[in-house]
Amino acid sequence: MKNVLSKITDIVSDPYAFVGSVREQTGKKVIGCFPMHVPEELVHAAGMLPVVIWRSNEAVTWGHAHVPAYDCGITRSFVDDAVRGKLPFMDGMVFHVRQCLQAGEFPYIMERNVKPAYQKNLYLPALYPGEAIKDFTITELDVFKTSLEEFSGNKITDEKLKESFEIYNLNRSLLERVYEIRREKPEILKAKEMMQIVWSSMLMPKEDHNKILTELISKMEAKEVIPDKTRIRVIPVGGLCQTIQPDILDLIEDLGMIIPDDDLYVGSRYFANKVSLDGDPIDALAKRYLTKSPLCPTKGVWDIHWGDEAIKKMNDNNARGIISIMIKYCPPHACYYPDFKSKMDKEGINEIMIQVEHEIISLESVKTRLQTFVEILGGV
Amino acid sequence: MGIKYKVNRLETTNEIRPLVDKHWEELRTAKDRGEKVAWASGPTFIFAYAMGMKCHFMAGYSAYCGGIGAGEEVLKVAEMTGDLPESCSYHRLHMGMAEAVARDIPINPQAILPMPDLMVAGRLCPEMSHYAEGLNRRFGIRVLPVDLPSVYNIEDAPRIREFVYRQFKETVIPTVEDVCGKPFDYDRMSEILSVLKKVATLRNQCWEYFKEKPSRWTLWDYGVSIAPVFYMMGNPAGITYYEKLLKELQDRKKNNIPAIAPDGEKYRLYWDGWLPWAFLGKFMRKFTPHGAVCICGRYPWEFFPNPELIDPENPVESWADLYYGNGQLIHHFSPRGTVDLIGNLIEDYSIDGLLMFSSKTCRIMNLSQPDIIDTLDKKYGVPGVIVEGDMIDPAMISDSQIETRLEALYEMIDSRRK
Ligand code: SF4
Ligand code: SF4
Repeated sequence: MKNVLSKITDIVSDPYAFVGSVREQTGKKVIGCFPMHVPEELVHAAGMLPVVIWRSNEAVTWGHAHVPAYDCGITRSFVDDAVRGKLPFMDGMVFHVRQCLQAGEFPYIMERNVKPAYQKNLYLPALYPGEAIKDFTITELDVFKTSLEEFSGNKITDEKLKESFEIYNLNRSLLERVYEIRREKPEILKAKEMMQIVWSSMLMPKEDHNKILTELISKMEAKEVIPDKTRIRVIPVGGLCQTIQPDILDLIEDLGMIIPDDDLYVGSRYFANKVSLDGDPIDALAKRYLTKSPLCPTKGVWDIHWGDEAIKKMNDNNARGIISIMIKYCPPHACYYPDFKSKMDKEGINEIMIQVEHEIISLESVKTRLQTFVEILGGV
Repeated sequence: MGIKYKVNRLETTNEIRPLVDKHWEELRTAKDRGEKVAWASGPTFIFAYAMGMKCHFMAGYSAYCGGIGAGEEVLKVAEMTGDLPESCSYHRLHMGMAEAVARDIPINPQAILPMPDLMVAGRLCPEMSHYAEGLNRRFGIRVLPVDLPSVYNIEDAPRIREFVYRQFKETVIPTVEDVCGKPFDYDRMSEILSVLKKVATLRNQCWEYFKEKPSRWTLWDYGVSIAPVFYMMGNPAGITYYEKLLKELQDRKKNNIPAIAPDGEKYRLYWDGWLPWAFLGKFMRKFTPHGAVCICGRYPWEFFPNPELIDPENPVESWADLYYGNGQLIHHFSPRGTVDLIGNLIEDYSIDGLLMFSSKTCRIMNLSQPDIIDTLDKKYGVPGVIVEGDMIDPAMISDSQIETRLEALYEMIDSRRK
């Protein structure tokens, strides 16, 4: 297990070098897909390598000449990386500009300062009722498909697309299995290791990641762990688009809590929902996007409640509390949060919100809040 | 020292307040008369108007609330009831007002609106969904959602226009019919557009007086005169208002009266972004002593700059076309469209400098502002600065930052004049 995990740690500790080297070795074009809704399968089926754009671990410098300090971490960090020339291996970039206002920062900044060989904006709709929404999603995906064909020079046939679905679905199943094992024996992985496993899926060719996961799963299945009954189970929720600082995840665990499952983007949200292999593949991709659960506040959904989903996850895992992880300056989450919170209050759920910023915030204040929380939950 | 500048106030603008107050009064009392009430975001209110519903438009209410000085207290209620200070201030205003009513928290009575029978939620900005979702989750308000994507590349506009038009026909119209219990009133929508066409045509004639040197009026005068092309849409009183305004501007020209006394402005500025509704006076006091005046801007230019494209005969098609067809209003929300628009305004209105207002809680018009400034500076030799703030929330406004940035702008303009 150690070997696999250390391979993963190597990849995520320098994603720039890793993705650059894969590009060199495979000769494939790399397409950066801004999180969270770009259908990577289409890029894969065009014979290119989709990678999910990430937040760096460096402070933003030049980027602040392009975006304000009150944009969220990944927005600022990605712009910073791009204008500092740290992403020369990205042949293309795709932005779903309708997920939040900040996603609209990228198109002009990139075409003016970075000039990737391929740049595409998607306008995936909110999940509102009506046939027009469904049809428009399909139109958008068709337009995206055509533009990828033009750029790659490869035709995306239905067969190729379904092959990609199979590879991606397998990755989803394997990640689900990793989560399942962690649910059974949460002590088996640290929260930051779990995040790194998912993050590595966003960076690696899925075929390679599937191999790594298969190996990891057999090791995890074989490994015995001594359950630590004193630890309090909690579920982190939120963390849209970006990785959470590992220090914060460590802190949660150091304070006597344990995370058996999560509702984080670089977590269970990334691999939720498979693409159906039946019928027209573009319809199937549209259907996956139009799936409301896990609820994402960027998709304009209100007939299910995020709070209900989180509470279910908490109960399913015998957890005692929810930790909302809010990315500072993430309007979709910030606007939803009051309703989430009031649901927690109404249902008598113990919940705490911690706001995380790209720049490392004072861990002391987070620690104090989490300490109080753990006391409320009945811990030390 | 230098010249003592002051603003020559227009007479006609004194007449707007009673019109605006009447609009809001009618909305507040609509339920007493048994009328249906809608709230709207994005350019969807026209469908409620066409059905005779009393309706407010999120940005219009925010402007009004800021204008009557009620913004801060309503925002406080929002914060008290769980909203985060970093959320969009228009969102907070609406949630705060609704919570104040629900929990019986006293606020300025003029800021209170009746809860709607329907929320017509145009999702022009993705965050606009959240008003509607919140109203539905917290107060059970029926929501009519419409996705209205902003368009980054103009070549994407035709397919998005079709999408939007289909939503108008397939979702919006049947829903308002259901709520009001009667067929959609296409004739009334046509009438509204006919009045709008007249008002916007007159308003464009008024805009010509911004082109003069010295300018005959200020963007702030236009800001307070915006209701007739905006939420008072379809009200013939708007025609009378703009006829008077035009006449006053004509007289000013005849008598050589500038907007800024004694002899006109020193700096002609473009204003980008929302108008800072709660702080119009504050900004004015920072411009005028320097002889600076704002004379055009993206947001106030959003309200139908091409009235010739309004086609009252085909109201629903025309509404989609104004935004996504020939009118291309939606494109002005994207940086590429912004660059084109501002470029034209710089030339038409002889702009010396760009003041880019960046709202800390609403990014819709902040997108890529530094790059936009740089592009325009390189192309037209016109400098620009960013001023950070908020349309409503005083906690987000820093006097010293505004002053420093404005001074930098004046200096840049001066140095280029040498
Ligand atoms: S974290 Fe939030 S604000 Fe940032 S890009 Fe994602 S959805 Fe948008
Ligand atoms: S973020 Fe801006 S555009 Fe969006 S709802 Fe708020 S004020 Fe309106």
